[in-house]
Amino acid sequence: MSDTPSPVPPFDPQTLAQTRRVELNITSDPANLGPARHAIEALCTVCGFDDKSTGEVGLVVNEALANVTRHAYGGAIDQPIRIIGQCPDDELQITIRDWGSGESPIVLPDAPHDPLKPGGIGLICLRQLMDQTIFTPQDDGMLLTMMRKRTRPSMERANG
Amino acid sequence: MADIATGTELVPTARQDGDAVLASIRGEIDLHNSPELRGVLIGPLIASQPKRLVLNLSQVPYMDSSAIAVMVETLQKLRKFGGKLYLTNLQPRVKGLLEIARLDSIFVITADEAEALTK
Repeated sequence: MSDTPSPVPPFDPQTLAQTRRVELNITSDPANLGPARHAIEALCTVCGFDDKSTGEVGLVVNEALANVTRHAYGGAIDQPIRIIGQCPDDELQITIRDWGSGESPIVLPDAPHDPLKPGGIGLICLRQLMDQTIFTPQDDGMLLTMMRKRTRPSMERANG
Repeated sequence: MADIATGTELVPTARQDGDAVLASIRGEIDLHNSPELRGVLIGPLIASQPKRLVLNLSQVPYMDSSAIAVMVETLQKLRKFGGKLYLTNLQPRVKGLLEIARLDSIFVITADEAEALTK
């Protein structure tokens, strides 16, 4: 990739409201997790997501980025990640591109999740909180594409 | 009652109260600072082998799975000497994550510290 990864730059709310699009080129440093999540949450708000849904999408992005750092890059904190979020209509689409190992994430087992065993919560979030989650291996890494409709019930409402 | 030094702004206050340790956590917790949280929870907060470790999360608007992992590890260490982990004053996003992770029934969740000390 040609872009130089950098810390998450501040975003202008007015521009965000007009473009309904966020593009971030960051490093895999966990220090960037919070600012990247906040940027995506701001996009969700602009796109009409309620607070709970916005929080769920922010959590998903956090978990996806943390998985990239831990697994795709083996804990390295200076590697590039590109995040693009956009909602041209009623659906939010987020892509996360890395240039790491390219290995598919661990497939969730059929057995119920044991809450006292570490790991796996991030992938559960991805699967449960988004309408679609697609991992597409690239020649030099991985592309994760996630979609969520604005009208999708949040987990709390979905669980009644 | 005695204060416990935590050495981090992430846990601004902690104190021993009988066989309980009560601590307040402050800020968003993710992979960036969850190792710092682990250092406090696994270190000074359970050094006295409390029967109750009560974490006040009223100032924690957000946490991710790395923070959850720290709390699960803390719970497992507490259980070795018969201790329990109490989480109080949960904010909505934190409560939601615990539900997704199915941990809302593993920890003891209470409305406030007073309830945690009597439950």
